[in-house]
Amino acid sequence: MLKTSISTVGGLLIATSLSTAAVAAVCTDDLKILAQPRGSLTLLEERAAEFEALSGVSFTIDFLNENDRRAKSRAEASTTGRYNVYYIDEANVALFAENEWIVPLEKHFPSEFHLDDFDPSRLTVGSYEGDLYFAPIQGGGDFLYYRKDLLDAAGITPPTTLDELKVAIKALHDPENNVYGFALRGGRGSGANVWRWMTYFRGFGGEWFDGDTPTFNSEAAIKATETYLELFQYSPPGTSTGSWTEVTEAFNSGQVALIVESSPLAGLTEDASSSAVAGKVGYTVPPRPLTGGGYGHGLAIGAKANRDEAALDCAGLFIGWATSQDQEMQRLEQGIFGDLNRQSVFASDEFAAKYSGNIATALEETAEFTTVNFWPNADWPDLGDRWGIILEELIVGSRSDIPEALNELEDYANDLIARR
Amino acid sequence: MKAKSHINKVFLGPPLFVLAVLALVPTIAAIIISFQNKELGRRGTSFVGFENYINLFSDRRFSNAMKVSLQWEAITVIGTMIVAILVAILLFETTRGRTRAIISTLLIVPVLLPRVTAAFVWKFMFNPLLGVINYPIKELTGAPIEFLSNIQTALISVAVVDIWQWGLFFAVILLKLLETLPKEPFEAARIDKARTWEIYAYVAIPMLAAPLISLTFVKMVESLRSFDLIYVMTRGGPGIVTETLDMYAFNQGFVESGRISYASAMAVLMLLTTIITFTVLFKWVRKWQTA
Repeated sequence: MLKTSISTVGGLLIATSLSTAAVAAVCTDDLKILAQPRGSLTLLEERAAEFEALSGVSFTIDFLNENDRRAKSRAEASTTGRYNVYYIDEANVALFAENEWIVPLEKHFPSEFHLDDFDPSRLTVGSYEGDLYFAPIQGGGDFLYYRKDLLDAAGITPPTTLDELKVAIKALHDPENNVYGFALRGGRGSGANVWRWMTYFRGFGGEWFDGDTPTFNSEAAIKATETYLELFQYSPPGTSTGSWTEVTEAFNSGQVALIVESSPLAGLTEDASSSAVAGKVGYTVPPRPLTGGGYGHGLAIGAKANRDEAALDCAGLFIGWATSQDQEMQRLEQGIFGDLNRQSVFASDEFAAKYSGNIATALEETAEFTTVNFWPNADWPDLGDRWGIILEELIVGSRSDIPEALNELEDYANDLIARR
Repeated sequence: MKAKSHINKVFLGPPLFVLAVLALVPTIAAIIISFQNKELGRRGTSFVGFENYINLFSDRRFSNAMKVSLQWEAITVIGTMIVAILVAILLFETTRGRTRAIISTLLIVPVLLPRVTAAFVWKFMFNPLLGVINYPIKELTGAPIEFLSNIQTALISVAVVDIWQWGLFFAVILLKLLETLPKEPFEAARIDKARTWEIYAYVAIPMLAAPLISLTFVKMVESLRSFDLIYVMTRGGPGIVTETLDMYAFNQGFVESGRISYASAMAVLMLLTTIITFTVLFKWVRKWQTA
């Protein structure tokens, strides 16, 4: 018995050392990664020794919040490009890929980490012109989150249409008792106020472009903006210039009755250590005709910092390890719900035990309504951010003419196309 | 004589060289880039003459940024000087010895805080749901004031932080200057039955005119560097209500568009405007002082 154990352990050790030696040859320099703070990435830092044993090198992650990360990564990748791995999101895959600041991932992603295990929709948003560029760290669609206790008390069923949603919001809005009917992102940004506004715009049939011709200046955009401004009357203080953080904190602190937000909020909402509404929330699909905002963030291989094939493979190895099934199971164990992307993890018993019932059902149902709402183009961040500023001006009331605002955006879009 | 001129060169040479490298190189680079069409997300760069400068004049955000920058200068410089003068006089009249020394030390603390730290602390205090400033307002009126999200209050709220940092610091400087003034003119004014405010308005402040003008210039230059405070507290928002020129240039160059050349054109215009304004002001003040 003892002999068998020794030989098994010995065999494992030899196998491990062989595989370590095999991949250690790939990595010669420590890796630099530019990212935005995520629970899963903090977890990576805690498990850095594992990567060192696997590759022979260590890594450092520079964290910046989402807007700063976007600004810095564009400025950095277009000039010095000293990061081996970039955290990028669905909205800037086209920009990074078109400029060749990142390289296609598949060739450098070690096969033992099973790329095909990721949820296909996450891989779709990480692709540009047929090539996959990032391995997902987080992603998903939208849920309608509703406070079961408040809806039950008022005798309201979870709304399934926008009209029903409006009725429910008005009925539940009670700011004197610190309950606001709804919460929306007002702060500027293609990934902030525009991200939520797009679900109305696309839901009302709006389209961004027909070829190179802008088509967004339409009835759908006017109606979407009017609806957004109308619903903003019921959004809590601080959200008119706030984004994900402000609206989710307002919801989790119990001040909001209904909210349509990205699916990772479910993990935060059910975390009783930081949420006052754990156990009181129901989850369902966004009310029709709103579309769910399909999104994904992930890790991509930088082109400039990785000068040869070996360096590209090393960055690929890091991404493979960082997004592996083993990492995702650790995230699941620690309740980092928003950073789960693998089909094998969603299908696991551990997942079923932790997120049974309402959330799991909503996850399955919402896939049908999840679409890519933004304009998948290298110029999208520029156009989206410009609309973000104009939309914020409309929300805070420093301008009020919606058609004039859309005309201004159309002029800007035409200028963008002309500058190509 | 000859040896003396050598010493001049020895002492002036290194700092001038450092200044040339640190200031001149980026300035010349900015001027060159401003005549190009360089963008972070686009390949190929060519010279486009004055196109960026011409486009600026039809850009509503640029004219708004000019207006906001002027408002910011006026509010923060005037606010700082008024606070400094009032607090200095108050302390000069009401405190003595050790108490004055302790209060003076405390008043210097805000300016010692890094701008980013001060901005975060105040941003939290202004928070409509959790901020300490809003707590009594909510108790009294039932609703918080969104100081940093309201188009009427955002610029003034950020300016309060700037004035809090610099006004109190300048108050201590002015207090020390008041202590150095001779007592005779004050006594003469009192014998003439001048009221307290008249003594300061007609005797003390005119005697401190030169250092007050210097402090005003220091603050004017300092107020131009408002970027960090605005960036942390409002990022130029709500909308574009607090978007100063440096904030807009940064947004265009790095955050939104990656239009480096367009942002450089703004920076060059800002540099020119500042040089011209300050030269005119300096000359005007010198003429006024010698008159």
